[in-house]
Amino acid sequence: MNERDMDVIDDAEARGRTDVWPFWRRAYAAGDPLPAITCATSRPTYRFDEGDALPAEYRELLTKMLRHEGERAGNKSFLGFMGTCLDLAEALYPTREARLVKAEYLAEELKHAIMFHRLAVGLDRDFALRDVPYAHYTFHLPRESWADDAFFHFLVDLNGAFHARDWRESSYVPLAKMSATVERDELGHSEMGYHFLREICAEARGRRLCQRLLEKWYPAALDMFGRSDSKNAPVFIRWGLKSVDNAEIRRLYQGYVDAKLAALGLEPPPATKNRRFL
Amino acid sequence: MSDILEEIRTAYAGVGIVLDQPAAYGTYYRLLCGGCGRMVGNVGDRLLPGMAAELVERQRDLYADGIMGCPCGHQKAVATR
Repeated sequence: MNERDMDVIDDAEARGRTDVWPFWRRAYAAGDPLPAITCATSRPTYRFDEGDALPAEYRELLTKMLRHEGERAGNKSFLGFMGTCLDLAEALYPTREARLVKAEYLAEELKHAIMFHRLAVGLDRDFALRDVPYAHYTFHLPRESWADDAFFHFLVDLNGAFHARDWRESSYVPLAKMSATVERDELGHSEMGYHFLREICAEARGRRLCQRLLEKWYPAALDMFGRSDSKNAPVFIRWGLKSVDNAEIRRLYQGYVDAKLAALGLEPPPATKNRRFL
Repeated sequence: MSDILEEIRTAYAGVGIVLDQPAAYGTYYRLLCGGCGRMVGNVGDRLLPGMAAELVERQRDLYADGIMGCPCGHQKAVATR
């Protein structure tokens, strides 16, 4: 995209601003909301840009990472998943304002789909149109209430924000360049979910529902970071594609989430309860 | 139909919810109220084995209390039988 294209997108986003949207604005105004993710391992310094010859192992790991990320315009499973978000917004929205906020969320995710599309084309033209259904069970959990949907955004979009924060130091330059925007937006999506959770928890009946739904969403959210003994993690770190291993980024994430849940009067379940990938 | 989808269908049938046709490229499915047909949610087909039954059973009391389920009350009625 050239600068003029970006101006048009910036203008469209600016016109979507309301008292609450985008949610990242308030979160960052109070300081950096996310913890620092710092590599403590001694490793070579790599820098690869679009068009550079990539070592085979590096290319394989980067492609694997982007397959998992999924937000690509050419990934019809991502577009299908966005369709389920629209379905839920239409069927379960509590207020017209909430429905509009969800529409803004979808618009922003589609912006990411364009950004990651460009990244994919720059990496491998054949990858750009590859359909990659979300493999992790968290993306398939039933969402049967506005609270379910709110937990999905609070926890799963936050996972995206933490990974995007980690990409700030990525050895793949195109990913590092877009990391700040993706991090900011995903944090905003998480704050959107949290905003809805706060509204739901304002009543005892809603708080009871949220406490019970945590038994489904909390372990799934922690599972999303993968196994703590992953053999791939040290290789990702050595190539500069990640800064820390799965256990460390999960630990930082859990600390952030637990504090936010406590502020809602919710108690996080034990960290190992109902977990599938320790 | 895959084993997982059959698990999902069976689990939700027990609380009066019907698994609809695929909504998006065969990966996600709408959940419809068995009483009035209204959409009450959605679910994907990559749940782990045994997960659907466990999740639905765990929230049976929420259906029975009317905290979850369709406003028409069908799940509340089915879950309290």
